[in-house]
Amino acid sequence: MRYLLFISFLFLVIACSSVYKKMQKTTGDASCIRKFKPLLGSALYKTNVDVVGKHLTGLVLIKSMPDSSERIVFSNEFGIKFFDFEFSNDSGFKVIYIIEQMNKKAVIKTLRKDFELVLMHNTSTSDAYLLKNGKSIYYAFPQESGVNYYITDSTCGHLVGMERSSKSKPVVEAIMENYKDGIPDTIGIEHKNFNFTIGLKRIENAGR
Amino acid sequence: MRERILLLCIFCFCICVFTHAQYPGFTLLANDAAFRQQFSEISQKTISIQSDFTQEKDLSMLSEKIVSKGKFWFKKDNRVRMEYSQPFQYLMVLNNGSIYIKDDQKENKVSAKSNPLFRQINKIMVDCMQGSALSNPDFSQRIFEGKSSFLIELTPTAKNLKSFFEHINIIVDKKDFSATEIKMYESGGDNTIIRFTNKQLNTAIPDALFIIH
Repeated sequence: MRYLLFISFLFLVIACSSVYKKMQKTTGDASCIRKFKPLLGSALYKTNVDVVGKHLTGLVLIKSMPDSSERIVFSNEFGIKFFDFEFSNDSGFKVIYIIEQMNKKAVIKTLRKDFELVLMHNTSTSDAYLLKNGKSIYYAFPQESGVNYYITDSTCGHLVGMERSSKSKPVVEAIMENYKDGIPDTIGIEHKNFNFTIGLKRIENAGR
Repeated sequence: MRERILLLCIFCFCICVFTHAQYPGFTLLANDAAFRQQFSEISQKTISIQSDFTQEKDLSMLSEKIVSKGKFWFKKDNRVRMEYSQPFQYLMVLNNGSIYIKDDQKENKVSAKSNPLFRQINKIMVDCMQGSALSNPDFSQRIFEGKSSFLIELTPTAKNLKSFFEHINIIVDKKDFSATEIKMYESGGDNTIIRFTNKQLNTAIPDALFIIH
């Protein structure tokens, strides 16, 4: 019985230990990930959202504004808008519009952090550090709470993935793939703590 | 005294300008009883509508337009099928309170009762096609007359609808009293217009189009 307790405790300790602590610190230029920042101009994405058993679809428009802020607007197929967010100057954020059903602090905070990760906001290199994990390099950018990681191959030539983490483990994993003229064709965001995924697939020649 | 008359004239002038400028080419019908009766009689005779549609969402603050296209079917009572072909395939069938949605990934069947937003969209669509928009208690209505069409302005009175729409305008063709355009104005200044073209009224439409499996 005592052994069982000890083994359980050991498992608990192993489970709670940080996946990032096992990685080795390394040196390099943290600003190299800036080349993966999507140059959106104006891009329209077909969007699928799965949230705790519910399936939502619609269109997301991401647009860079003349004042260098970025807007993300999500509406359904009939044109009914779910939300319109403004991201500006690295950490600026404003809710331009959100429907009543989604107007909850936790929902807005989650979406804000997810899109900040993808839009590569809050990536000041002053407190950034690098970790090495096998052939991958983790570019770590500490946030107000947790850390945003951008994972590349050893030469920073390819963005393998992105992670938003708590102290010990990733809470969100994201991808941006198939860049065309600086605009990713596919963006995927997956939460690890609860069933919430966002999938964006770019629509070209949308008749706009 | 002269000043008061002048002020009154300016006030009247402003009202005239305002009522005319609200919808250019349309004037408010002071007495709309005849229109309401005629509209209700004709739309009662409309058993089915088949048409193409173009939906244009205007994001005014972003100076962007999102255009969608597809085919539309309506059959009495309460049955609507909207098949989007652009910018991607998307199908929605409304059949007596049930909603079926199919995109390239999933099929979804929802009861309109469990989803208030869909219930409202369902009602608005059916109301616009069936001519019952004028008796929907969730909206107050004003009728404007133009050269070849009427404009029905619906202003939501119910709180949940007010959060989505400032008002919804339906443009009705004078020839057959069928809806040619539905324009939904959002409170933030954006709007969505659905235009119906190549309309065919009262043709035989198979029930199979509205079956929800």
